[in-house]
Amino acid sequence: MKRAGRLSAAVLGAGLIGVDLADKIMHSDVLDLGLVVGRDGANAGLRQATRLGMPIADRGIRSLVEVDEPFDVVFDATNAVAHAEHAEQLAPFGTMLVDLTPSRAGQMVVPTVNGASAVGNSDVSMVTCGGQAAIPVLHAITCEHRVDYVEVVTTAATLSVGHGTRINLDEYVDTTQDAVRTFTGVGDVKAILNISPARPPATFRVAMSMLGSGFREDSVRDLAEGVAKELREFVGGFVVSACSVQEERAFVAVEVMASGERLPRYAGNLDIINSAALSVAERYADDRRSIARAEAS
Amino acid sequence: MSSTAAAGRTIQIHDPTLRDGHHAVRHQLDADQLRGYAEAANAAGIPVVEVGHGNGLGASSLQVGRALLSDDEMLSTVREALTTSKMAVFMLPGWGTVRDLDNAVAHGVDLVRIGTHCTEGDLAERHLQHLRDAGVEAHAVLLMSHMATPERLGEECARLVGFGASGVGIMDSSGHYLPGDVTERITAMRAAVDVPVMFHGHNNLGMAVANSVAAADAGADILDACARGFGAGAGNTQLEVLVPVLDRIGYRTGIDLYKLLDAADLAERDLMKAPPAVDSIAIVSGLAGVFSGFKTRVIDVSAREGVDPRDVFFALGRLQAVAGQEDLIVDVAQTMAKAAAENAPERVSA
Repeated sequence: MKRAGRLSAAVLGAGLIGVDLADKIMHSDVLDLGLVVGRDGANAGLRQATRLGMPIADRGIRSLVEVDEPFDVVFDATNAVAHAEHAEQLAPFGTMLVDLTPSRAGQMVVPTVNGASAVGNSDVSMVTCGGQAAIPVLHAITCEHRVDYVEVVTTAATLSVGHGTRINLDEYVDTTQDAVRTFTGVGDVKAILNISPARPPATFRVAMSMLGSGFREDSVRDLAEGVAKELREFVGGFVVSACSVQEERAFVAVEVMASGERLPRYAGNLDIINSAALSVAERYADDRRSIARAEAS
Repeated sequence: MSSTAAAGRTIQIHDPTLRDGHHAVRHQLDADQLRGYAEAANAAGIPVVEVGHGNGLGASSLQVGRALLSDDEMLSTVREALTTSKMAVFMLPGWGTVRDLDNAVAHGVDLVRIGTHCTEGDLAERHLQHLRDAGVEAHAVLLMSHMATPERLGEECARLVGFGASGVGIMDSSGHYLPGDVTERITAMRAAVDVPVMFHGHNNLGMAVANSVAAADAGADILDACARGFGAGAGNTQLEVLVPVLDRIGYRTGIDLYKLLDAADLAERDLMKAPPAVDSIAIVSGLAGVFSGFKTRVIDVSAREGVDPRDVFFALGRLQAVAGQEDLIVDVAQTMAKAAAENAPERVSA
């Protein structure tokens, strides 16, 4: 059921990302959660969604295509290989597709850097969890300092990495590298992903190393802290955990603790990409609402 | 001395001197060094010679160290030098990608090892399937294996065979095992799969040869060993010791002893400043259960931050840091330096 002025939203994929995202949408003031879609009713994620009071369907993309009224926004939380088909099937409906897989298909968006450019795109890529954490920091530093090489090492706790991500490691690496290149203008970029088995689980973490010239400890630290403050507006647990600067080399590590009631604290990877995806969709909803208002007046 | 378990059984020796040894020299071996050792190993009849950056294909980075040579340069140099020995490479998903695998296949690699942390075998699913589809022999290797129970290792191995691995193995990446630990684990793996089983030792506690013998006696088919033990931390199982020890027990390796000793002498002369030693840092890293490859970075960062590298190793052990998490070293050392500064006795002002 659609409440006045809200956009209808569906989540495709009932893995770790999908269920948390659906939960975040339930708390949104501008989106209505219409459906959480999996491919197997016995799936743990769908059962959890049912327990949380969410409407579910289990026929994959068909559950979204064969509906009376198409959804305004669909979040794709499946895997990179499946995304192209999902985009194709939804194209006729004018749906805004927000892609949480590392498919690199749509316009890449990092809300604090280019959030405005999401509006008007029918397929928006949320890059990767590591990209969402690293790019704001790297963007700020590369605006102020000459950087010739960037390396991004992401570490996520094993319990926070679902099957879709596990079979998409290559896409994760390629998409993160591409996005860092695009947003920083630095050509030489390397991305690495580690999965930590530690118990208790390790907090989501992204370590960035840069080679360049004229780095200063105070400048790099201030830039990173400034970005962290800005990001905490929508990802409360974002902190700078280490900073080490020499003349031609800078190292910044950030950690993201998940906030909210449902996610375990270590799962900052889920929190940051889902919060970013939600903010993109909400911005689109606000935009649609102002257009509707303008037309009505 | 001979044992009935051995009874003339063949053990395949796999020699990662030119891959794991890279950890000991910050990944700086040049083409002449690679060529010289590969030719000597080939002449000795060592069945498999592995080459690459210490962390495998695509791993050259600030995180773990940049290699002097590109993967292309390493692979083409060693390929030319090996006429009878097989050429192997190693890759960690999340570090290298299918592109790196295809590139190695184009260079004529005979055997690819895909490594993951010991409880994360499913990270290798797509890469093992890709290699199987490409018709390349692919083995799966579980790192930091002391962090998992024998039962869990057996389950992971069965799963990896399902993905397409035609061999499975464990690394004692921290040199933490005692022989009984190895016996338990290899026995569980042997019971779980029908493909060849491998053991890769490190010598942090002086146990690498004994652990490798325990692995063979428990049914391992493939043993890793490096010339002079050239490898991360305290080094690997020493190749030219292991081969004659296996021979005395009654296993066959097909390796020529004198030519093997020549290859090891060449390695000591041409590849390293000094053979690996079980030094204080290596012992602590073995006790703490931390990846031996962290050694050079821990020493560098500890010196910069003014903290004891042994404390850093124990702290990394408490964090259960695994291979590849070198970025944690800076955090740990900075946290220690900060705590030390805060706890220092205050100076009385006049």
